Amino acid sequence: MFASLIHPRVLTALALLLAGAGLSITAWQGPDNAMLVPRIVLTIWCVVALAILIGELIRRVPVKRVTLTPLPLLMAAILIAAIATASLGFLIPALPLVALTLWLFRIRRPLPLLLGTIVIGGGLWFLFHHVLMIRLPALLTNGVI
Amino acid sequence: MDMILAAMGDAFTWQALLAIVIGTWAGIIIGGLPGLGSVVGLTIFLPFTFGMDVITSMALLIGVYCGSVYGGSITAILINTPGTPQSAATTFDGYPMTQQGRVDEALGWATFASFFGGVLSCVLLIFCAPQLAKFAVNFGSIEVFALVCLAMLCIVGISRGSLLKGLVCGMMGFFFSTVGSDPITGADRFTFGTYALSSGLDLIPVVVGAFALSEVFVRFSARNEEATIIPEARLRFPNLREIGRRLIELVRGSFIGSFVGALPGTGAAAAAFISYAAAQKLSPRRANLGKGEPDGIIASESSNNAVTGSAFIPTLALGIPGDVVTAMMMGAMVIHGITPGVRLMVDQAQTVYALFVVLIIVNVAMLVLSKPSIGLFRYLFKLPLGFVMGGIVMFSFIGAVSVRGNPLDLVVAALTGILAYVLRRGGYPLAPLVIGMVLGPALESSLRRGLLISRGDFLSFFTHSGIAATLFVLIGLFLVWTTMAGVLDWRAKIAARREPVSPSSSRA
Repeated sequence: MFASLIHPRVLTALALLLAGAGLSITAWQGPDNAMLVPRIVLTIWCVVALAILIGELIRRVPVKRVTLTPLPLLMAAILIAAIATASLGFLIPALPLVALTLWLFRIRRPLPLLLGTIVIGGGLWFLFHHVLMIRLPALLTNGVI
Repeated sequence: MDMILAAMGDAFTWQALLAIVIGTWAGIIIGGLPGLGSVVGLTIFLPFTFGMDVITSMALLIGVYCGSVYGGSITAILINTPGTPQSAATTFDGYPMTQQGRVDEALGWATFASFFGGVLSCVLLIFCAPQLAKFAVNFGSIEVFALVCLAMLCIVGISRGSLLKGLVCGMMGFFFSTVGSDPITGADRFTFGTYALSSGLDLIPVVVGAFALSEVFVRFSARNEEATIIPEARLRFPNLREIGRRLIELVRGSFIGSFVGALPGTGAAAAAFISYAAAQKLSPRRANLGKGEPDGIIASESSNNAVTGSAFIPTLALGIPGDVVTAMMMGAMVIHGITPGVRLMVDQAQTVYALFVVLIIVNVAMLVLSKPSIGLFRYLFKLPLGFVMGGIVMFSFIGAVSVRGNPLDLVVAALTGILAYVLRRGGYPLAPLVIGMVLGPALESSLRRGLLISRGDFLSFFTHSGIAATLFVLIGLFLVWTTMAGVLDWRAKIAARREPVSPSSSRA
């Protein structure tokens, strides 16, 4: 029973139900007029998420063997780079992110890794920010980097 | 007539033609690389359009869209791996033809059928969209509410995966659209005291996260899979006699694609399979289908490319996107000052006709560019996956942040990417999430306006007008049909589970 509870599909359904319930509390505490539609939406969300959770528990899909992968590292790197862009500008977080992505996708020889990082990370930033003049978040107020 | 000539003048500028060539060519390449589809292609090219005028930017995006739908067939034929889900049915006969050494014939039919389907659907679009727009003027708030409800239900009901999972994703997308200031009262909703959230969540960062970034995560999980050996890619167009022999198949596939594409929530993949199923019943060479018969390729490719034109009918005339790709195109249109909906054909008729002309030119460009593009695939398949994925991450970041210049959009894209990966692993369809976010504001504003008109009496919605009543009846029928189909499916599954048990129990 406990094994079926920690199945990823069950946990996803549970997380959806809890998220829906938490947001519903916020919706019911807000102003009636503005929150009319969100209340309906979140109520449907909670009811459906509960039905999915019950369905996943009944279905008892066998739990796959858990293997360690560096995927959470890639996810964390993307999230950290996204957060850091607000304070460091676009280029500085993008370069290590591209390098890490290339490394994780097995481009590990120094020259292709370096060239890939410079061309994909720096090159695209330069193309959009300085050539096409589509301004990306910058570190310096004059917008150079 | 003056309007069409003026629209042609807008479409035949050197900037628009260059955008069509670049967009179509890039779309063919992106569509042909397995895993990257129309949405990733549009994500990559969207930031390039910000400095362009309306027609040039839409020409680039339409080129990418149509090109990618065709490009998916190339890998379906060459390596039995559809570049996009829309081309899955092409593998049934395309790959057997490659195995028989008829790769040039298979690619030739795929290219010609794509062109034929695309052009025919453009012609239908030109005739049908204005008629639909004239009818759409009769739609008030309550009719729009009923129509959006019906569209939402269709999209959830037909989306891949379970109905409940589609519904919860649709509600999630709807919820995303409610974040920020309430459009009627101005009160903050779900901002949690964060000022940056007051402006709400933008569609593009959510789409970028849900499709492009989650694709990077999915590809990362599957990066240990072995590369496939690629055969020599050549192309030979069918001659007039061969086309004449299979003209009925071409027309049938194109009409099926055009019809299915105009229905919200269906899309090109469904059209291709429906058309293939029709060919299995009606083609004079149906006995050969699945063994390397060009009729199979024609059925799949003419219908999936016919969807590219007809999918614009509900998008432009009613403001209801048929699938994720048209939802994204709709988002791009709004960025460039075109607001799809009932007033579009009246207020911006010249722009709409220019888009129709662009669609036809794109299909011609696809035919011309097919030969040089196919030759490139032998080299492209040798490109390490890491460079492609690194590029997607960068383009996703640029696409997400450059719409509003708000760094919070990057965080939204990253979080949506992680959420979408988890949902994909759990078997949740993502299309309803995006469609819910697109249709959410229309649904909310029409409901609240409708309640104001009817003085808070929701029951009067059902008797407000003939159109509204018809739409509510259709909603009811759809709910009954979906519930019955679900119960029958559930019973069939229960029966299938019991069957294997009976022999052993009888032996015991």
